[in-house]
Amino acid sequence: MKSSLVGQAVILAALALIPAAGEAIYFRDKISWRSAFAPSEMVTVEQARAWGENAIWVDARPDEEFARDHVPGALLLNEDRWNELVPQFLVVWSPGKKIVVYCSSLSCNASREVARRLRKETQLSDVFVLEGGWEAWMKKNR
Amino acid sequence: MDEEEQMKETPSVQRPTPNAELSAGATTSNIKHRTSNIFWRIFDFVLAGIFIYAGALKAFDPVQFASDIDNYKLLPWPVSVALAFYLPWLEIFCALGLVFRFLYRGALSILTASIVVFTLATIAAKVRGLDITCGCFGHASQHWSFPAHLVTNLAILAALLMLSFRAPSACRRQN
Repeated sequence: MKSSLVGQAVILAALALIPAAGEAIYFRDKISWRSAFAPSEMVTVEQARAWGENAIWVDARPDEEFARDHVPGALLLNEDRWNELVPQFLVVWSPGKKIVVYCSSLSCNASREVARRLRKETQLSDVFVLEGGWEAWMKKNR
Repeated sequence: MDEEEQMKETPSVQRPTPNAELSAGATTSNIKHRTSNIFWRIFDFVLAGIFIYAGALKAFDPVQFASDIDNYKLLPWPVSVALAFYLPWLEIFCALGLVFRFLYRGALSILTASIVVFTLATIAAKVRGLDITCGCFGHASQHWSFPAHLVTNLAILAALLMLSFRAPSACRRQN
C-alpha cells in the first residue's frame, strides 16, 4: 500500500513536469533564472541620490507609513489606491526623469510590484527599485 | 410444535425468512452508503476546484508566482523560478486526480504535503517579520491578512486529511 502510494505520487510528480517544462520554454524571455530583478533595474541609495533633481522618488508603502515619514519630496503611489494615485503621479512626471520606487525594507514586495505596474501599465521606462528600501535610505541619511 | 419439527415433517413447507425485513434493511443501508458516497464526491470536487483555480491562476502568471516564492526568503531565486513553473501544474494534476479518482491516494498525499509546507512557510515568514503576499491564489490573495491565510490553509488541510482517512476504503471500492 505504501509503495503504491509513493508510486502514485511519483507518477503525478512526473506528469506535472511536462507542462511545467513547456511553460518554462514559453516564458524564457519573460523571466530571468539568475535574479529576481535584473541588476540594471535596481539602484542603491547613493546612486539614486546622485541623480538629484533628475529623480522622482515614489513611496510604495501604505498610506499610514508614508504619513509617518518618507523620503523628502517622495510621491505616494501604492497598490491600495493605485487608480487614484497614478494620475497624480503622472502630473509630476516628465520625460527623462528617473523613477525610484521604494517600500519598507529588503524583504518587501510592494516596490517591485509598483515598478512592474508602472512599466507595464503606464509604459514608462527608467523605473528603478531602491535596494533595501526605506530602511536603507534611513541608514544612509540619519 | 416448533419450527424445526414442522420442517422435518413437511419438507415442502418453506422456512419463513424475514426477506422483506432484510431487503428493507439492505435498501436503507444502501441509501445511506450512496448518500455518504455522494457527499464525499462533492467534497472531492470542491477541493479539486479550489486547487485547479489556485493552480491555474499561478500557471498563468509564473513570473509573479516566482516573485511571491522568493519573498519568503527561504530558497535561492533559480529554485523559486523552477517551483513557479512546476507547482501550479502539480496542483492541477493532483486536483484532476481527485476528480477522476486517478492516482487518488498519491494526489491526496501530495496536496496534503504541499499545504503543510505552504502553511509552515507562511508561519516562518510571519515569525521573521516578513511583509509579504502569500501568492497561494495569485493576485486574488494579494491582500489577505495572515490570519485569513492561515485559516484557509488549515481548513484545506483538514478537508484533505478527512479525505485521506476515508481514502483506503473508498479506493478499494472504486479501483
